[in-house]
Amino acid sequence: MTGTKAVVVACDIVTPYGWGIDSCWNGLLSKKTAIGHLDRFPTEFFLTQNAAVVPGLTYGQDKSIVIKMLKPLLQKNISSIPEDTFLILATTTGEIDKLERHVLNETTDAASSRPDKLLEKILLLCGLGSLGIVVSAACASSSIAVAHAAGMIISGENDCVIVVACDSVSEFVFAGFSSLMALDKDMAKPFDRDRNGLSLGEASGFLLLMSELRASRENRSVIGEIAGWGLTNDANHMTGPSRDGSGLAMAIRKALKSADVSEKDIGCFSAHGTGTIYNDSMEIKALKTVFGNHKVPVYSIKGGTGHTLGAAGLLEIIIAFESLNKKIVPPTVNLCNIDNEASGWVSSEPLTVNGSVTISTNSGFGGVNCAVVLKKY
Amino acid sequence: MIVIKGIGWITKTEYGSIIKKLQGNYNDLKSLHSHLQHESVLKYAIKNFGRFDAASKMTCCSIALALNDAGITYSEHMKHDIGILGTNNNGCFESNLAYFKDYVSCGRTIARGNLFIYTLPSTPMAEPAIYFGFQGPLLYIKFQHNQIPSMLHYAGKMILRRETSKMIAVEASEEKSVCFVLGKQDNTSTMKTLSLEDIIDTIKKISDFDEIVIMLQRKGAM
Repeated sequence: MTGTKAVVVACDIVTPYGWGIDSCWNGLLSKKTAIGHLDRFPTEFFLTQNAAVVPGLTYGQDKSIVIKMLKPLLQKNISSIPEDTFLILATTTGEIDKLERHVLNETTDAASSRPDKLLEKILLLCGLGSLGIVVSAACASSSIAVAHAAGMIISGENDCVIVVACDSVSEFVFAGFSSLMALDKDMAKPFDRDRNGLSLGEASGFLLLMSELRASRENRSVIGEIAGWGLTNDANHMTGPSRDGSGLAMAIRKALKSADVSEKDIGCFSAHGTGTIYNDSMEIKALKTVFGNHKVPVYSIKGGTGHTLGAAGLLEIIIAFESLNKKIVPPTVNLCNIDNEASGWVSSEPLTVNGSVTISTNSGFGGVNCAVVLKKY
Repeated sequence: MIVIKGIGWITKTEYGSIIKKLQGNYNDLKSLHSHLQHESVLKYAIKNFGRFDAASKMTCCSIALALNDAGITYSEHMKHDIGILGTNNNGCFESNLAYFKDYVSCGRTIARGNLFIYTLPSTPMAEPAIYFGFQGPLLYIKFQHNQIPSMLHYAGKMILRRETSKMIAVEASEEKSVCFVLGKQDNTSTMKTLSLEDIIDTIKKISDFDEIVIMLQRKGAM
């Protein structure tokens, strides 16, 4: 380890609230959800007809949904991305709509849906000639990618890394989650006593990280620091989390230790908060294990944006930096009746952040957990 | 210093390990599962093994061979601070096609959850994590070039960054798999280990899987 810090110098997102960080932040603060009726493909046989999609994107024609999100986003920001940047692409299904079209009407080459093909396109969109990798770890894909980007910088392997994250609402994924009975019939209500599942969402975004030294040399304004992380696995079940939250608690503790901060330093907590009965219950148990009686304000953005799968971690880290820098804990959208277990932890109203450190966590299929500690700079 | 403590490998007809110089033939993965259990390479049956996709079956068996090669024991009730990094050429492309074709053949009315769970590139790592009790980091990475050497280098870095104490690095597809157990050198242990840097240097110019296995066998015999 070099002793250098990994700092975030640029970021941007597109979410079901629209283009840019402000639209998402203001949408969450308005307490209005971006989840609505889905008309991309037939949904009458599924558990729900609702999802959160980026407005104005046409499905099933020419380019994939993720390219339709990423191309304008990266082109707008290309001047901020140095040519020697290392790329980490985080996704679960990437351009899966291309595989759908191949199976449904053979209009595309199915292999073009592979993540390595998407990586080549993103390298071009970012104007990068250097190598990159694709990281995939279910719904923790992009939070792990951000953690590893910071690790590459802190260890001195690279001094500039971009994490690009994306996933879309597709028939492929929608049918799958419906078959697992994981979707709420109405819309996701994280930490609500009447919650009954998640709502799918889509998003794309990027986070540009630099060593503190390089950021200073290039006069970059710093958004915040990726100070530590903890990665664990429940080693318990393929689709359900460990009921006692022990895997996530271990990830949070590892993250606190790695960032050299204590639980008392944490001003607020960005939970995975999918709205499924078991996930949200597991998370509160993990929080109680780590924080004990020291209740920190906890929120989930998924009642607003839906569950954006592989993009969720990056999106939530960006919103967590907004939260730190604006000193506001965003409200948990769609939270009406707080579950007894979560009482005193979550709120449907915005609160004030007391502190300059926050944690963002994600968990996913296969029992994967990731906790990332973010510091105000 | 990071070293390689054990290596297991499987092709469509053969399997083996490097340090203990194990080698054998098999007919199908179901019989290999039974055989490895009989030989105590697998300590107990893998639950639902028959329902796994081919890549997950290959991954589980090559990890069992690598752990046995490294002399690492496990049980149903023990969990370990071991991470797992997987890679391959195609992600879960074949499983994606199988799942979606099945869904379309059902009139686009119902999907099979048991096929859907294999449409994540990380699922073939998750199945063994559950079986062997790996509680460390779990992820899939697609490297652009030099797949196996890049994977070994990356897994070594994860240990050096103290993300976990040991790493399983596994390349697996429907047809072949090779798995490495990485850890810090333990000067008190008498178990044979291989230098990570030496193995990376040796295999980085080889693309053929069978040639890589032959080269690893030579290194193991030295």
